[in-house]
Amino acid sequence: MIRHIIFNLLQVLVVMAFAPLVTGVVNRLKEIVQSKHGPSIFQPYRDLWKLFHKDEIVSEESSWIFRFTPYIVFVTPIFVALLIPVLTNYPLFFAFMGDMIGGGFVLALGGFFATLAAVDTANPYGPMGASRTRMVGFLAEPVFMIVFFTVSFVAGSTIPYIVQEKWVTPLANFFTPAHVLLMLAFLMLILAEGGRIPVDNPAGHFELAMIDESKSLEYSGRGFALMKWGGQMKFFVLICIFLNVLVTPWGLASGQTIGAVLLAIPLVLFKIFCFLLVLVVIESSLSKLRLFRITEFLGAAFITSVAAMITRVFLP
Amino acid sequence: MSGMNQLLENLNALAAGLFLLTAFGIVAMRQVRGCLNLFIAQSLLLAASAALLGLRYGSAHLFGVAIVNVISKPIIIPWLLRKTAPAEIYTQREINQVLNIPTALLIALALAILSYFLGQPLLNAIAPEFRAPNVPIGIAGLLIGVFTLTVRREAVPLLLGLLMMENSAFLAGISMSRNLPLLVELAFATDGLIIVFISGVLIRAVQKHVGTTAVGELASLKEGATERAVKEAGK
Amino acid sequence: MSVLIILLLPLIAAALVCIPVKKYWASGVTVASSAAILILAARTALQVAAGNSIVSTSQLGLLKWISVDGLSVLILLLIAFVATTAAIYSIGYMAHEKLKPSKLRLYYANYNLFIFSMLAIPVLAEPTLVWIVVELTTLCSALLVSFENTREALEAAWKYVVLSLMGAGMALLGFLVLFAAMQASGGHGAYTWHGLVTAAPMMPPVLLQIAFLLILIGLGTKVGLVPMHTWLPDAHSQAPSPVCALLSGIETSAILYVILRMFPIMQASPHCHAETWALVFGLISVGVAAFLLLQVRDYKRMFAFSTVEHMGIILAAVGLGASAAGYGAMLQIVSHCVTKSFCFFAAGATLMAVGTREIPAVRGLVRKSPAAGVALVLGGLAITGAPPLAVFLSEFSILKAGLTQKHYVATGLLALFIVIAFFGIMLHINRMVFGVSENEKNGSPGPPEENHPGTQPVEKFNLPFSCRLALIVAAVPVLALGVYIPKPLHDLLTMAAAALTR
Repeated sequence: MIRHIIFNLLQVLVVMAFAPLVTGVVNRLKEIVQSKHGPSIFQPYRDLWKLFHKDEIVSEESSWIFRFTPYIVFVTPIFVALLIPVLTNYPLFFAFMGDMIGGGFVLALGGFFATLAAVDTANPYGPMGASRTRMVGFLAEPVFMIVFFTVSFVAGSTIPYIVQEKWVTPLANFFTPAHVLLMLAFLMLILAEGGRIPVDNPAGHFELAMIDESKSLEYSGRGFALMKWGGQMKFFVLICIFLNVLVTPWGLASGQTIGAVLLAIPLVLFKIFCFLLVLVVIESSLSKLRLFRITEFLGAAFITSVAAMITRVFLP
Repeated sequence: MSGMNQLLENLNALAAGLFLLTAFGIVAMRQVRGCLNLFIAQSLLLAASAALLGLRYGSAHLFGVAIVNVISKPIIIPWLLRKTAPAEIYTQREINQVLNIPTALLIALALAILSYFLGQPLLNAIAPEFRAPNVPIGIAGLLIGVFTLTVRREAVPLLLGLLMMENSAFLAGISMSRNLPLLVELAFATDGLIIVFISGVLIRAVQKHVGTTAVGELASLKEGATERAVKEAGK
Repeated sequence: MSVLIILLLPLIAAALVCIPVKKYWASGVTVASSAAILILAARTALQVAAGNSIVSTSQLGLLKWISVDGLSVLILLLIAFVATTAAIYSIGYMAHEKLKPSKLRLYYANYNLFIFSMLAIPVLAEPTLVWIVVELTTLCSALLVSFENTREALEAAWKYVVLSLMGAGMALLGFLVLFAAMQASGGHGAYTWHGLVTAAPMMPPVLLQIAFLLILIGLGTKVGLVPMHTWLPDAHSQAPSPVCALLSGIETSAILYVILRMFPIMQASPHCHAETWALVFGLISVGVAAFLLLQVRDYKRMFAFSTVEHMGIILAAVGLGASAAGYGAMLQIVSHCVTKSFCFFAAGATLMAVGTREIPAVRGLVRKSPAAGVALVLGGLAITGAPPLAVFLSEFSILKAGLTQKHYVATGLLALFIVIAFFGIMLHINRMVFGVSENEKNGSPGPPEENHPGTQPVEKFNLPFSCRLALIVAAVPVLALGVYIPKPLHDLLTMAAAALTR
């Protein structure tokens, strides 16, 4: 019991510690693909350290929302990290505190506050980016729902650990059409929610074209560091949900000892690294979609997820 | 052994599921070349499904079907199209669609769900060893093919919609009716090639005399068409 | 053996016409081969009428599925007849068009391939092979429909190809379901029409019904049943007239033959009710076509709508059930075929004389070209069922059979629609042939470049000799079959009707 609490907190520490590393590795890989040298993979850590030591400037026109949001954006992914399988494939102490839909809502809470904060200042680019983020968000909602409903229908429960046990652990399930199609749909979803190409350019500095980056335009110093870190953690959490719940349970610890759990850390990181390779290939070979084409992209994700649902629910 | 059979059946279901996805793609894809690539993928999936069913049920005849499909559709059809149709069609993108893409996709989805319901009585009437997800997906592909013919305007996607209908009917057929003589399969394949040839020639003629390959937009033949044409020419 | 020669002749002719030799080489070869096919077909027909149905005994590849019975040989004979008359007509028509020799060769090559594909339909006994040949007919005639390369012709050809292939795609699923039903019946008979009839009682009725519906709707698109008929008026009016005669006269009937082959199978199975579907589709087609005829403005489209109407009549006749209605349906196929080809020859003659396809622009045809005028009037009367011409006899026997079967409502509707179509067609034709044009009537000054109206006699147009010959040859059965049906034909018709009901 105490052990489970410790493992849970270990999970959270892993998420907090390694989220910037994921961003650093992705950026480095993208640069390597473009035949450049690229920044060090630890650069995001240095950025965060630098930002924490800088002064913070807050606009006089903003309200408490502006000051409060970085904390919310930082805390919500941590909260979700308590609920999902990151290191172990058996439920931990806080696992039954919320299910996948609850986790989705908590992540959405963070996004909601980020949007409000972007509107809160008088910066013209903030609301522009905020409305676009909301558009992507509400188009992605049906996909989330259908994916969750399909896997919950099969597993008989909405708790991620149980879904992972029933859905993805039997190897025969790996090649079922529902599995492959759901993986495709959720991958498109990660691209949309994480603000990657083809939905949004994470490395772009052109404010008129920003979708996700615009929420942290006005922030500086500690607030900016918390927003950045929170965004990276959200991406990490989404990847964990994708890989551990939907793709394969490989690498997760099944033993109850601390050694097994510590061993799971490099294995899970290796799994995430493989996923990052795929992500980099996708990002380097596609170009950013025009804004109104995003509806088509997410429509295609929706169709894929519903096709998965059809092949699973209506199986002959 | 039954684990192997189960794996083959799962792989076959996977091929059928991806087939359905390519059917959706052909309805929605804007680029003509992308549509053609999706069609090639679809034919390869059909061949894969035939091969898997052949392995599962030990029917050498289905392997023949798979080979015929792999040779004729992904290889010969694009080659024929390049020879007969004018070269500009490959750079076309359909800008004005009849319905915008999300709506078209949603209707295609509704058709897929409908075809699952339509396929149920059919599945119940045939013996258990012939049941596979191929049948409802084949019917879905047929209905989506008919839908493609109504929504798309460019010539090559229309042609691919037609060929997709044949592919889907075949997908349903390989699981339901397995022992069609091989000669018939060969004749089907040749038939597909002739369709592409004639359509290619027609598209070239349309491009030459009318000036556009958006054949779906030609809608002037109604009562009094020749009168109006004469009036237009006289102005 | 002669069936094999019948199939090979058009292929050889198609190859031969590609040789660039003298001016009349291509047309001559075509006419010769069509005439040879006609003679062979007639001989086969006599053989079958005498009671020997032909079944191939060789097991070689495609040859093992060649078999000819009463119904098949009837269609075969009709195809050969229209092919010959249309080939003769083409000589004059194409000469009038003044084409480049290479284009003319293309026309005749396509023509022969088209004949080949149509001839193959009745002789093959395996349904999937028949499906392939049905698709071939669409493909071989597509280039013929778009022959004139105008915008409208290309649009018509494209619509034709797309809709026909769409219907064929649905019919493919139907045939595959039929095959599955055959497998499920457990029998080990061959997958031929005959084998299907014997295995039908043991097939699951759901599969049979689904297959029948798919085939009816799919092939019905090619036949021109409403609501899948939208391509028919365009394609059958934009094609050159001899091709129209082939398309309207016999191709739609040949596809209808394939649908009719399904009926004995449906009847052999106790739970299936194919007749109701046939009756409903047939009546809808006749009704819609009759009303559409009233507002038509192009006389070739008018005849095309009339084809839709007649296909509906035939289907409705089969749906009325009973052997008397079956006999009437067969007679209707024969009479429609000869009459419709004659009508399109007349329409082609009119087009050559006047140069426009529109009804309001044609007036006083009989003064401009007496041959065309007379032919058009005769054709119009014939196709609408005026006595004592061929179609009247067949329609009358259908109506009579319907009344004896106590289908009063259906028969009454059928008669009503036939009368509406009669009025529609004869109104247009009457005005076209005998009407006085605006210029002649008013005597008002026309555009300056024309001469004084009313005083100037209309310039007569002389129909080419081959067209007149084709018209006369085609007119013979139209007139003759209205009063006398020769005994061999009568036997054939009875056998064909019997083939419809198991």
